[in-house]
Amino acid sequence: MVMMVAPALAVSAEEVAVYGYNSDPIVFWDPRDAASDETIWMNNVYERLLHLNFETGDLEPELAMRYEVSDDGLVWTFYLRQDVQFHTGNAMDAAAVRDSILGTKNRGKGLAYIWDAVKSVDVIDGHTVTFRLEYPAPLGLSAASALGAFIYDPKYVDEAWYSAGNDSGTGPYAVKSHDGTERIELAKFTKYWRGWDGQHFDKVVFLKVADATTRRLMVESGQIDFTNQLPPQMIADLGRSSSVEIVKGPSFQNLIAFFNTKKPPLDDPLVRRALAYTIPYADVITSALGGFGQQSRGPVPYGMWGHSDRIKQYTFSMETARALLTAAGYPDGGFKLVLTYTAGDDIEELTAQLWKSALAQLNVELEIRGMPWESHWDYAKGTDPLKRQDIFMFYWWSSYPNPYGYLHYMFETEQEITWNLGYYSNPVYDSLINTANRLTGRNQDEAIDMFIEAQNILMEDVPGLAVFDMQYVRAKNADLTGYVDNPIYTNVVFWYDCHRK
Amino acid sequence: MLSYVVRRCLFALFVLVGVSILTFLLTRVAPSDPAARWVGPRATAEQITQARAELGLDKPLPVQYMLYVSSLLQGNWGISIRTHRPVALDLQQYLPPTVELIVFSMFFAVPLGVFLGVVSAARSGTPVDHGARLLALAGVGLPGFWLAMILQIVFFKWIGLFPLSGRVAITTSVERLTGFLLIDSAIARNLPALGDALWHLVLPAATLAAYPVGNLARMTRNTMLEVLGEDFIRVARAIGAPEARVYFKHALRNVLGTLLTSTTLIFVYSLVGSFVVESVFNWPGFGSYAALSIMVIDYPAIMGITTVVAVSYVVLNLINDLAMAVVDPRIRLS
Repeated sequence: MVMMVAPALAVSAEEVAVYGYNSDPIVFWDPRDAASDETIWMNNVYERLLHLNFETGDLEPELAMRYEVSDDGLVWTFYLRQDVQFHTGNAMDAAAVRDSILGTKNRGKGLAYIWDAVKSVDVIDGHTVTFRLEYPAPLGLSAASALGAFIYDPKYVDEAWYSAGNDSGTGPYAVKSHDGTERIELAKFTKYWRGWDGQHFDKVVFLKVADATTRRLMVESGQIDFTNQLPPQMIADLGRSSSVEIVKGPSFQNLIAFFNTKKPPLDDPLVRRALAYTIPYADVITSALGGFGQQSRGPVPYGMWGHSDRIKQYTFSMETARALLTAAGYPDGGFKLVLTYTAGDDIEELTAQLWKSALAQLNVELEIRGMPWESHWDYAKGTDPLKRQDIFMFYWWSSYPNPYGYLHYMFETEQEITWNLGYYSNPVYDSLINTANRLTGRNQDEAIDMFIEAQNILMEDVPGLAVFDMQYVRAKNADLTGYVDNPIYTNVVFWYDCHRK
Repeated sequence: MLSYVVRRCLFALFVLVGVSILTFLLTRVAPSDPAARWVGPRATAEQITQARAELGLDKPLPVQYMLYVSSLLQGNWGISIRTHRPVALDLQQYLPPTVELIVFSMFFAVPLGVFLGVVSAARSGTPVDHGARLLALAGVGLPGFWLAMILQIVFFKWIGLFPLSGRVAITTSVERLTGFLLIDSAIARNLPALGDALWHLVLPAATLAAYPVGNLARMTRNTMLEVLGEDFIRVARAIGAPEARVYFKHALRNVLGTLLTSTTLIFVYSLVGSFVVESVFNWPGFGSYAALSIMVIDYPAIMGITTVVAVSYVVLNLINDLAMAVVDPRIRLS
């Protein structure tokens, strides 16, 4: 037990929860623009029409009590709660929902693209709103998205008002104060529609604590109730502390290694397939991830719909790799590849090092370059493909629970290089995933089949490879109860549901 | 003196213009895409293109620079690509915590370093001298992050005497007036918060003080040993001056000029160099802000940071030179 010798402070009767986060919790203030770490507090201040239960896969009511979908999947009707008030004092109604969603869509920032299928939004009555779509789309997933789907008071659209630290949500907590971008304090909204019966926190503080060792000491000493992203090596030690509980759960984050399909020798699919057999997957999971993850099976991660055992999975087989290289005209290897990753990421670095050791057995030299993210990405977007890296390694995750978010951004043909960093172009693949995306709202099973087929095309062509699907490991105060891990709402703790024993 | 000050200010303008051009060019040619950083992770190509136009990044570099200077002269330091806040607001936010930390640490580091150096010189060749020199060496040689973590483990985890991190306890709030918590809590007559802020300063200030203590101790010792061999010291001893007066009045006065310069340079360097200490102690200061801005090539913030540091160097060096002229009557400002 640590005794704090400090000047006596006034004892507060309020229950205050503290979330120690590894980065600035405040990036965007405007709910229409949110795309980053602000998710951890915005999901306690704002709400959306639906909530996606990861365990059951069900779309559950939130601000909408229920919804209906027409047979052709083009009309979605939401029936709203009638007792909801914004923190601004105005009542939430169908017009506010319409203006919220269209405001986000038309502004075009953040995750506005999740509403791309929406043609119009109509107010039927005070608490009924209808979305008409250009094509059948899984609008329920958009309505449940972690970001981009917040319902805010549309009478408040001034950026400066938001940046001054105000909010216009309906959630259980409202912004009370903030200090720069590193600390934000929320206080309970007394008129929250779910009420405050039972045990709840009165305030929640989100605090940036960049240093992992400091975060560890803070959670051990009870100064913070919850923290994210501690190094795997620290988790084992921390788990032995009686005051700390380790929470492991699936994530929708995976590690991707893109192959430069425009540069020899990786312009040859045989060479790319050979390389896929040279990654020591088991060692990577054990050594780099500390066991917190599993080998990927396609770019859609485990737990996301569209992930399937029907997708090909590569194994670590030097014999097979050697045979493929021989078929490609490299029986003795003899070439060099440059792999770039984001400097400072130990997991990526160790993965690359393990891969390098394996490739050396085939006389393939792997030069590993750690670069700051900005430089890393910029290098990959160079005008001359021959001067770019051979292998680009980074993480991908999506705040929008749809396999299209993985397959479209990373592998669909791009006119301007953004995220397709294998520079892959396959019209058959492009058509397949776009057809599947439009089918999702009408026939999800058929869409899944098409997404699986698309992923198997990728596993044959190997423009890139998902190496592993990460598990998120977090540490929390052992007395904190009510936390439910949900990878769709990454790093979000719904504090209204939590309390200390 | 006035003409000297005016000349130095004019010269400083040239320095600032040169620094701003060089920094602008370096941040703009470094590989990065500020527009992509601006819109957030997983941005689409369309969003990035839109942001590029919004930020004026599609204009020629000389035009961008002139627009920046024009805004700067109107008091607009631009918007940080990373924080999405006005850079002026960020500087206002992050500079006071670092200045407060540096001033607090130097308040103890300077007299301690000088005292160690004088004692070391006075007891030259003795175990006292060796011990003081070892301490000084440790001060300049030990990595700041290592020292910070050791202090946290010993004084927080094992002994439980000092807080782990931050400027005040997590649930303590002080109304922000100047940004200097000691001043703000004193103005608000919030004595518990004042005490809390002082207590939180101890470990990070001790870490930050290690290098100046070591540096000043070594410099004082070396300069004192030279001075102690001078004739006027022999005369002072011959006429019966107490040893304490010989060391702390007659000899030390001749070392002050060097100490002033060294202290000034350490102070300004610490504005940005404190980022390691700030990172470990979760101190939301200028050093951390600068480090993060540089890592993501947040060019408006980098320009603001560079301007602040350059102005600090210029102003503090000017004050240093004026102070040296006061301390050492042999110096003529010319």
